[in-house]
Amino acid sequence: MSSEPDAGVLAVLAGLPGGNPRRLRVLLDHHEPADALARLIAGRPLHPMVERAWGGPSGELRGEIRRAAATGSVAEAADWCARLGVGVMARADPAFPAQLQVDPDPPAILFWQGDLSVLDARRVGIIGTRNATASGRATAFELGHELAVGGVTVVSGLARGIDGAAHRGVRSGDGRAVGVVANGHDAPYPKPHADLWEWVGTDGLLLSEWPPGTTPEPWRFPLRNRILAALCEVLVVVESRERGGSLITARAAADRGVEVMAVPGSPRNRACTGTNALLVDGAAPCTSVDDVLAALGLDHRRQCELPFDPRPEPDDVEQQVLAVCGEAPSTLDTIVSTLGIDVAVAAMAVARLERWGRLVEAGGWFEPAGSRLERS
Amino acid sequence: MIASVQSATILGARGHPVEVEVHVGKGLPSFLMLGLPDESCREARDRVRAAVTTCKYDWPDTKKVTVNLAPPVVRKSGSGLDVAIAVGLLTACGVVERDAIAGLAFAGELGLNGEVRPVPGVAPMVGVRPELDWVVPARSLAEARVACRGRVRPVANLTQLIEALNGVAPWPTIDEPSAVAVEPEVADLADVRGQPHARLALEVAAAGGHHMLLVGPPGAGKTMLARRLPGLLPDLDPQVALETTMIHSAAGVPLPAGGLIARPPFRAPHHTSSAGSLVGGGSHVLRPGEASLAHGGVLFLDEMGQFAPKALDALREALEDGRIMVGRVDHLRVPIPASFQLVGATNPCPCGGGGTPGACECDERSRARYIGRLSGPLLDRFDLRVAVARPAVGELLDGAPGESTAEVAARVALARRRALERNGCLNAELDESQFQDVAVLDDGGAALLRGEIERGRLTARGYHRIRRVARTLSDLAGAVDAVVAEDFVAMAFGMRARVGASAVVQAAS
Repeated sequence: MSSEPDAGVLAVLAGLPGGNPRRLRVLLDHHEPADALARLIAGRPLHPMVERAWGGPSGELRGEIRRAAATGSVAEAADWCARLGVGVMARADPAFPAQLQVDPDPPAILFWQGDLSVLDARRVGIIGTRNATASGRATAFELGHELAVGGVTVVSGLARGIDGAAHRGVRSGDGRAVGVVANGHDAPYPKPHADLWEWVGTDGLLLSEWPPGTTPEPWRFPLRNRILAALCEVLVVVESRERGGSLITARAAADRGVEVMAVPGSPRNRACTGTNALLVDGAAPCTSVDDVLAALGLDHRRQCELPFDPRPEPDDVEQQVLAVCGEAPSTLDTIVSTLGIDVAVAAMAVARLERWGRLVEAGGWFEPAGSRLERS
Repeated sequence: MIASVQSATILGARGHPVEVEVHVGKGLPSFLMLGLPDESCREARDRVRAAVTTCKYDWPDTKKVTVNLAPPVVRKSGSGLDVAIAVGLLTACGVVERDAIAGLAFAGELGLNGEVRPVPGVAPMVGVRPELDWVVPARSLAEARVACRGRVRPVANLTQLIEALNGVAPWPTIDEPSAVAVEPEVADLADVRGQPHARLALEVAAAGGHHMLLVGPPGAGKTMLARRLPGLLPDLDPQVALETTMIHSAAGVPLPAGGLIARPPFRAPHHTSSAGSLVGGGSHVLRPGEASLAHGGVLFLDEMGQFAPKALDALREALEDGRIMVGRVDHLRVPIPASFQLVGATNPCPCGGGGTPGACECDERSRARYIGRLSGPLLDRFDLRVAVARPAVGELLDGAPGESTAEVAARVALARRRALERNGCLNAELDESQFQDVAVLDDGGAALLRGEIERGRLTARGYHRIRRVARTLSDLAGAVDAVVAEDFVAMAFGMRARVGASAVVQAAS
């Protein structure tokens, strides 16, 4: 796939300093890739529109870009992409995803691994904070799984927390996934998700705006988010703080007319403050998978019965403990003082709930293990 | 023209008998000191000379003076041999009768004006030859009495001493008060509002002698809780009290009024402490460290993750053996007792925001790095690992005061007595082989533990720790039989929060 003579040229162009997709777009709109690179190296004048975007032929940035363009080896870059099995395409390429083609701020060059036809299916984005609660991760997992079973492609960012959980859910449902990442295809990031990264790159579609060798600097993530938003039809934010990258994606989605949904959570849970704010701002609530399927206009009637849950129903005290932990992650201290029950009774209830997988504990804090979605 | 005087030096927290031999004879006028004195000890020559002359005794200016500190293999340090050297010299010169110093031993430093000043370690020095009558600095009287079986003769200056030895004046009676530690006001548990679970954990720690780790954000009251632990512990038993007193004396820490340390000490070294200051040592003086000073009591390490890894590692020997072997190439290896109850406190993450899932500012990696500074083997020592949350404001304002220290201490004493009668040791020291006899699980408890082991949440070591804590909970509740009920196993579980790098990773996946 990278036998295109252009692959190396595009990779060198995409890796130029300044890292601005808009500049790159203007450049490729007015010049053939090879011509553009040759002009940059030789310092020959570019199209006047391009010169404006690039700060003039004598600009500081031009000097820097010129040096970088001259040192980057086209053959080496092409070879690297070929070895990784990474395809490279410019916007002129007929295979370039249509959703991005019509985007107001499309990437100029895309690096991809996997199967482009994944994008032909219905697409839902699932995103959220890296610092998620256990129930947030379970929710993302369930959403991912159910959507995968429903044949929907799930788009996400492969980050820690919600993103990773959603794609794990897709994998468990044997579905197709699109991952949009902010670094090169050569090094999985974050490391703990290396297995997911590989799976998305083979069974799904792994997209990046950056050539192999690019490191995940923080400023690349907001840029990545606009591609992610452009690729979905519906975007579900599972958990987010009052300020977070997920909200940037949600805004980018709203700007593109993509429907934004948010999973409601307890106001006392900090990981839900951002999603609750989205709901206030008019995002649609997502309380079950059916909400998402309905938003896509798909048939959301269940085909089969819910699987039988062999766990014993929680008793009175257990219900109360679950309610306290559901409102916000709690320590035993909080549970005991809130409910006014004996320490032993609380400890027993917590131990039983944990044993049946209804609560999880980390560092002495208990939180519900299950997803927040309704069982319909 | 020879005299020999009994005295002692300290090595670690122990006294070591020293015989000071003084020879005054013909030869080039000089003053020689033999027997491995270190710099501080060698200076005794000039102090003794000045003190003897200011007290108007003749200095043998025309003679060769040789002082030998026997046995010469042990390094002597400090100024505690000053008085013995002066008395030896005056005896060798014939100022004091040889018979007058028989059965006596001397400890103390001389001032240039002849004053006899206190030195650190009088208690262990006296304790190494307790059958002798000891002449000690007036201000060290109480300290010396703790260890001495003979008579203690306090003196304030050299003239007083020589006159008493010569029978010119009677032995002085003490008029100067001993140096006394200001007793810290013991904080009461009633000040802790709310936090029922943390209070219970504290009670369990006191009753079973379990090491405890408190995890919580700043302002959650970790230090407040830890400071209240010594108050819950019973008085030290006489043997331990004596050991602790010796250690404190050797380290030069002021002792309480009676001289003997009867209450469990509380030591809270700062997190910048070096390994040496924690476990003791030093190149010249083998000074007891904080771990030894906490012998019989509580060693509180606030911000435990911020201690140098080396320092924490050094503590592990003490946790294992209850003592610390300090040795240098040119010293004997000396064990210093260090059997303490460890209370650690740590924030759950660098931002301090806290542990609450989904609420903290830090990313996983910095969180894992922060808590990962507590090594697994060290975390394993904690039977109790308790998450402490900030109490709600309402609880601080309106909450009724909790039970007082006295009420809880009474329950703790009872539980400790039960455990000692049944096991012969505290529950924290229970051996695995004893479990069948003293801590049988009922069916429910066994099932609970088995389930956790099968789910891979409990290691073999963790299993034993749960059983020990469950045993203590059962003792506190007054259950006398050897069976530990399911409730207590569940409660023990609640007191073993998953902490450490593995918990962070697990929470993330």
